[in-house]
Amino acid sequence: MKVNIVSLTCCAGCVSSFLNAGDALLEILSQDFDIVYSPTFVDLKEVPQVDLAIVEGGVRTEADEKLIREVRAKSRILVALGICATHGGITSLGNIISVKKLLEKEYFVLETSKLPELEDLMYPICNFVDVDYYIPGCPPMPFLIVHSLKSIVSGKTPTRHQSVVCTECNRKIIAAKLDRLYGIYDKEADPNLCLVSQGFVCLGSLTREGCGAPCPRAGFTCFGCRGPTDSLLYRSRDLYSFLVKVISKRTSIPEEEVKKELYRNPFIFHTFIFSKFERFKARERII
Amino acid sequence: MTSQREITISPTTRIEGHGKVTIILDEAGNVSDAYFYATEIRGFDYFLRGMEADRLPFIISRICGVCSTAHVLASVKAIENIYGTEITETAKKLRELLLMGQIISNHSLVFFFLILPDFWFSKEEDPSKRNAFQIMRENPEIGRKAIALRSFATKILDTIGKREVHIVSAIPGGLISPLKEKEREELLKAAKEACAITQEAVSLGKELFEKNWEEFRKAGDYKTHYMALTDDDAIEFYEGKIRILNPEGDVFSEFAAQDYMKHVEEKRYEWTYAKFACLKALGCQKGIVQVGPTARVNVNKKTKTEFANRELEEFKRKFGSPTHATLLFDYARLIDLLYACERTRELLEDESITRTDTRVKVKPKGGVGTSVVEAPRGTLAHEYALTRNGRLKSMKLIIPTQVNSAAINLNVKDAATEFIRKGEIKPGLLNRIEMVVRAYDPCIKCATRNATDSLKVEIRNHEGRLLKILS
Ligand code: SF4
Ligand code: SF4
Ligand code: SF4
Repeated sequence: MKVNIVSLTCCAGCVSSFLNAGDALLEILSQDFDIVYSPTFVDLKEVPQVDLAIVEGGVRTEADEKLIREVRAKSRILVALGICATHGGITSLGNIISVKKLLEKEYFVLETSKLPELEDLMYPICNFVDVDYYIPGCPPMPFLIVHSLKSIVSGKTPTRHQSVVCTECNRKIIAAKLDRLYGIYDKEADPNLCLVSQGFVCLGSLTREGCGAPCPRAGFTCFGCRGPTDSLLYRSRDLYSFLVKVISKRTSIPEEEVKKELYRNPFIFHTFIFSKFERFKARERII
Repeated sequence: MTSQREITISPTTRIEGHGKVTIILDEAGNVSDAYFYATEIRGFDYFLRGMEADRLPFIISRICGVCSTAHVLASVKAIENIYGTEITETAKKLRELLLMGQIISNHSLVFFFLILPDFWFSKEEDPSKRNAFQIMRENPEIGRKAIALRSFATKILDTIGKREVHIVSAIPGGLISPLKEKEREELLKAAKEACAITQEAVSLGKELFEKNWEEFRKAGDYKTHYMALTDDDAIEFYEGKIRILNPEGDVFSEFAAQDYMKHVEEKRYEWTYAKFACLKALGCQKGIVQVGPTARVNVNKKTKTEFANRELEEFKRKFGSPTHATLLFDYARLIDLLYACERTRELLEDESITRTDTRVKVKPKGGVGTSVVEAPRGTLAHEYALTRNGRLKSMKLIIPTQVNSAAINLNVKDAATEFIRKGEIKPGLLNRIEMVVRAYDPCIKCATRNATDSLKVEIRNHEGRLLKILS
């Protein structure tokens, strides 16, 4: 199978993660998996017609948009790898200000420049093209990437992850009696109890499983890099009220007070998904 | 020149991120100027304003997935400088270990996946084959080595950082959890194997580079200043003083890392999304400075580990000190790699690294703080201003690729001048440009955290009309 690896606006962490797959990577490379185009690794200059395109990064510039359309037209299957590609990712935080402001504050007025024009916002790729599989994560873990790719290569649909990170985190959830919430560094975490039951704002209960919960296992709150689960994406979309309820239940702090505390922290929920979704068909295709 | 007006656009390759080269010709068709520039913008410096300092380190690492650990460490250190936090020795050792993991992860990637194909294959090789995957097919043993080193780095980052890309364990005040004795033993065992593989990689690299030495000498030899961290004349990555050498090799200045911003300034040009950085005292014309592997070797007299030190001495004997040949970046990078493996082993042999005092309590407050670490590509500085409530008021980051941009531009111009005469382009220009640019291992992701496109070479006439795009 001929494979393209394409990088749009992003941090290149997703392809790094793929390269971290160790022996599993060697195994997939020795199978029917021929990377013919990848500006990071291969010298081929033109986007070829392929069976599978793996795309990291989102659409921030017109050059990105042009490239993703070309890649789509030339690929049988297209995989959006990482939350930049699936949901806009961290760069979509830039959507809080206008492009004009962004350039003025940080750079210059573009008129005199030969650089590619920016889009008005940072977009996930599904706003422009059909995506066959979405693998969110910042980055998705190597085993998740390799496992999904192996299924795709053999013509199967990869295992979908529809539950939440809490199911992969072996911390015990209890209804504790607390009187306040804590910042990540305010106290050391008990190694066995759910972080929320200890007053930390962990997003595990909102976030799609599939990463193996490395962060909460290590005593660090999940910050939602796999994006919201199906039920939150399609049913309520109200991450905020949902989390307020979870925290209140696991700490016995009244909802009103939890709300006040969370308001102070505007970056908590949307760190990776602050973008505008159009044509988002992740429900059947998100891994 | 009509024959040259044909335009083909596609990415230049085996470089992290998206950059572009423009070459400008004068009326006689000779090179008058050349630019290497970035065409990507993301806006980190702006959109993170208002974020709680607590979240900064693990969010800011998203500037670059290839050197994310270096960013996390620079970030926690800057915050600790503001808070006035002194971390424990144990935490320091573990952070250094993380940074060594970062160096091994990056340098093994750059050597095996990006650089090696240039030296492994003949110049006439079909470009579609000139890549690491082809090397792995022809010589699975090399593939196994590359993957083994990468996996070793991943193991360090995963065990201590708790994730292999965008680690979460480093927090203001230290490390979130200690290293367990069992983990230490496993890592140590792996470190011994990794050191052996690294030595083989160094021999392979040296053999290939030496065959190409003539080429090396021709490709860029630009005399500039050099900057790196130093600890008593020895290469150091996590902390130390900053030393700058002048082009003759004398110490130009030496200062505490916190004073970095007093000595280095940024300059913005309208033709690139990345900002340049140069020495404040000399301005951007004269104050061109390089950072990274060659700079580390030039600035320092030794390394603290045995085999890397031997290699460093041999390097200095062969090429002099300071050396200016651009492609030697590729060679010097192997000294870093060897050092990082040896140092990792050393750190792990020290049983006290498993002590449980990895964390001290921080007292958040407002203020300004600067920190520096040696990232794979060179000196990396983060400076934050925090509000009283511990939120980000503003930040300033100076990234190795920004510092090296001026030198990269000069090198590109040199190559262009050599290959273009009277509007005639000799074959091999693109390859030469790619090789000098690649030597710097420029990370355009980092340099353009603020501000995409790939490396292209544009040739324009003196009126700015586009004559040709090479790619
Ligand atoms: S999803 Fe995360 S790791 Fe992947 S490219 Fe985007 S920022 Fe980097
Ligand atoms: S909320 Fe966090 S700590 Fe608690 S069970 Fe879920 S993932 Fe684990
Ligand atoms: S635990 Fe949360 S933050 Fe950590 S990798 Fe999983 S989804 Fe991402």
